[in-house]
Amino acid sequence: MRRWLPCWFGWWFLAAAGAQDGEQLFTLYCSACHGADGKGANEGAFPPLAGSRWVSGEPERAIQIVLHGIHGPIEVAGRHYELEMPPQGAMLADEPLAAILSYVRSSWGNAGSAVTPEAVAAQRAAGLDRAGPWTAEEILSRYPLPLEASVLRDLLSRSYEGDWSELPDFAKLTAANVEEEHDGWLKVESAPFEDHFAMEWEGRFEAPETGEYEFLLDADDAAELRLDGESVVAVTGLGPMDGSRSQTGKVHLDAGSHAFWVGYVEAEGQQGIALGWKVGEGGGYRWLTPVQASIREDRLPIVVGPEDGRAVIYRNFIDGTTPRAIGVGFPGGMNLAWSADHLAPELIWTGAFIDGAAKWVDRGTRPSPPAGENVVKLSAERFLPEEAKFRGYQLDAEGNPTFVATWGNQTLREGWQPGACRDGVPCLVRSLSLAGGSASLRVPLGEFAAIESDAVMARDAGRSVAELRPGLTLTFRYRLPH
Amino acid sequence: MSVSTMLRWSSAGILAIPCWAASLGGYVREEIPLPPGEVMEISSIALMPEDQVAVTTRRGDLWICDGAYGEDLSQVRWHRFARDLHEPLGMFWKEGSLWLTQRPELTRITDTDGDGEADRFETICADWGLTGNYHEYAFGSPPDREGNVWIALCLTGSFTSDAPWRGWCVRVTPEGEMIPTCSGLRSPGGIGFNREGDAFYTDNQGTWNGSSSLKWLRPGSFQGNPVGNSWHRLAGWPAPPEPKDPSRMVVERARFPDLVPPAVILPHGKVGQSPTAVVLDDTEGRFGPFAGQMLIGEQTHSQVQRVCLEKVGEWYQGAVFHFLEGFEAGIVPMRLAGDGSLFVGGTNRGWGSRGSKPFTFERVRWGGEVPFEMHHLSAIPEGFELTFTEPVDATSAGDPASYAMDAWTYVYQSEYGSPEVDAVAPTVRSVQVMEDGRTVRMVIDGRVRGHVHHLRADGVRSVTGEALVHPEAWYTLNEIPEG
Repeated sequence: MRRWLPCWFGWWFLAAAGAQDGEQLFTLYCSACHGADGKGANEGAFPPLAGSRWVSGEPERAIQIVLHGIHGPIEVAGRHYELEMPPQGAMLADEPLAAILSYVRSSWGNAGSAVTPEAVAAQRAAGLDRAGPWTAEEILSRYPLPLEASVLRDLLSRSYEGDWSELPDFAKLTAANVEEEHDGWLKVESAPFEDHFAMEWEGRFEAPETGEYEFLLDADDAAELRLDGESVVAVTGLGPMDGSRSQTGKVHLDAGSHAFWVGYVEAEGQQGIALGWKVGEGGGYRWLTPVQASIREDRLPIVVGPEDGRAVIYRNFIDGTTPRAIGVGFPGGMNLAWSADHLAPELIWTGAFIDGAAKWVDRGTRPSPPAGENVVKLSAERFLPEEAKFRGYQLDAEGNPTFVATWGNQTLREGWQPGACRDGVPCLVRSLSLAGGSASLRVPLGEFAAIESDAVMARDAGRSVAELRPGLTLTFRYRLPH
Repeated sequence: MSVSTMLRWSSAGILAIPCWAASLGGYVREEIPLPPGEVMEISSIALMPEDQVAVTTRRGDLWICDGAYGEDLSQVRWHRFARDLHEPLGMFWKEGSLWLTQRPELTRITDTDGDGEADRFETICADWGLTGNYHEYAFGSPPDREGNVWIALCLTGSFTSDAPWRGWCVRVTPEGEMIPTCSGLRSPGGIGFNREGDAFYTDNQGTWNGSSSLKWLRPGSFQGNPVGNSWHRLAGWPAPPEPKDPSRMVVERARFPDLVPPAVILPHGKVGQSPTAVVLDDTEGRFGPFAGQMLIGEQTHSQVQRVCLEKVGEWYQGAVFHFLEGFEAGIVPMRLAGDGSLFVGGTNRGWGSRGSKPFTFERVRWGGEVPFEMHHLSAIPEGFELTFTEPVDATSAGDPASYAMDAWTYVYQSEYGSPEVDAVAPTVRSVQVMEDGRTVRMVIDGRVRGHVHHLRADGVRSVTGEALVHPEAWYTLNEIPEG
């Protein structure tokens, strides 16, 4: 095997131009996403590095992320992102990586130590077995985020055994365990139980300044924060700690001590609590728990639906069907997802058609779920011959589609439009017509019972089947569940 | 009056700062107003008859703009022609229809009843695999000389090939037949043709791509990423190449004659980070002095680069130059109209860019003054021949000290990207100013076959004493011409 000469002429050249400087390298390689000011480019559409615990503390975590990249869901400063940071380790040598990381860790108010090329080299050697980018979960299990000094003083935790689905009246209970929490952190691990318990913490919250405070609380299961005896924020009922139930609450506090109390209930299964706070505008949360909560962004729905009484087509990945999905939203809250892979209808549902917000954020990694109710799976397979091909669709004046498929000398046209059942109840009308050839077609109608048709329906292996002969049109009325 | 800004680019390289000196001529960039309230993350542009321009958005809407060629862009009018198509990336007008490459298929879109909205969507071809992974993009070209559409199919997640033809380029005939054409693609950003009608695409730095580059889609070729090689058997092609890992392009292509070296490497960081659109300047001078050259979009740096190509032996090679920058978002599609209007669309959702707007649609026109630039760079047996856009000052242009060269290559490997390796410093031994007064012949010692050769010409002055607008070029020397 040939030996590679580590001949860093390129870097010699950059160094001559003064580019070994961390700020210039950061500007070149990183700022398009993280922003020249470290706050995340495009008003925070990308994760900030300024004030981020991801780059503070011991440098190993940040070095590993830069070397190998990171992908998938990640929470930074209380916000949820789904992005992809490509690995830089195969491109950038130890010296420039160290310069970039040192710059990031010492800029915009960050106060981390400098990173040496040797530290980068050591992490490179440590990660040699790694294939592909980190996930947030993976790297945090190896390199947890650093803890900040808590602003809680004189903190006590009390644990109670019992079965609750909401916060009990703690005054009536006898604690099974009491701990002095000298580090000022709320930790469910202080309870000597795994399931079926409650906890309360009492202490003092030392507000560093006078101002508007925002608290972010998430828990598995229920929790509540009270300051000076007043409820500030609560997560109620049973459920996971994944951001879907997290809550924020605001309170004006004067600088100084405030009576602090948190109650917590765990039913069974997973457990946890996360509580963060910030004061004033902007900036990330600081934490009173070793784990962080996130706010699942309250994204405004991007409504896709019929306009001006016309049906709308939505082509994208739709949950519950195949990649070549074609959604059709009809007026009157009736919706269809037709598969151009299977050349067959796959889903019908009622109510709202599609919320584009799942798809049209960040890189758009998630498929769009049907936005309405009563989603019914009609079929999940192809009934046309293997050689049948999708030929597209034609819209009528109301925007209703007729899908076309061809094979051999035969053409199947499948129209969908809103209509009414015999009793006048609105329904979706599917028309199938076959042209060319002499072979008739067996159309499986699946398990969906609420179909009206004049077609002769047979039972075939327990399923309804209609026979479609060339030159004929069959009509089926799909009564949507309500 | 519309907002217009004179483009004249500094050559600071890493942190180029637009300089607004109109006296140096150059190019005029104007933002084209977009329909109010709409999210116009532009992903395709098509030129239509009667001075209409069609665009698609990443959300899948298809809009038509009237007035995009006008002097007063505040007068543009938009109407929506179709909506909610599947992440389209490539569109052209042909015989009364818009032909659209969207993620799952090539579609011919027509307004048959003349009401201004599309009503017929004919699927021309949907024969490539699709798993539902968001990164399986499909970039479609305009029609080639036979009417075929070339479609570059990104890998699954840009790392694997989980369905047929991911990581391949296919051609689709007007009748809808799909012809597997090239393997070995990673993550394309755009596709187009050069003056000879050969197809090129941009591929992004990552696995098996030490740097981003412009690559020649020679039919039957392997572009270097072996992840999609499982589909050779479907194509009925011979056993695919299995490159050594790590290696060098110049070593591996000696083993595999179908492995096409990148025609022009776009050195990562120095030239760009995410190349996209590929557009030929076929305006015969209406877009300035670079007729016949290619323009490359650059998403991360919000720039347009310029490329000159030549064939040495059977391979394309050439140089990239910095050209235009300061666009408002990350550039994705471009189209150059016959009158010399370059239409540029951009977005930075999910991929950051220097331009800080979430999306943009812009027009660039040449102001009529020839900027003092390197026009093209050609390899010759003893060195390079460099032609400028204007006559040069013979003293400075004939002085070897006016030039500097360094050269390097990249590791060809499965890891993501590569450092610059095997660096050398070729020396400019002598320079001769040719009779035309615009060309210099440089005798250079120490060139390396396969390396990127980075030329600086900071010392050269024009006859009127001007310095070069962009004094740098990066030439990919796949082959050294024989004397």
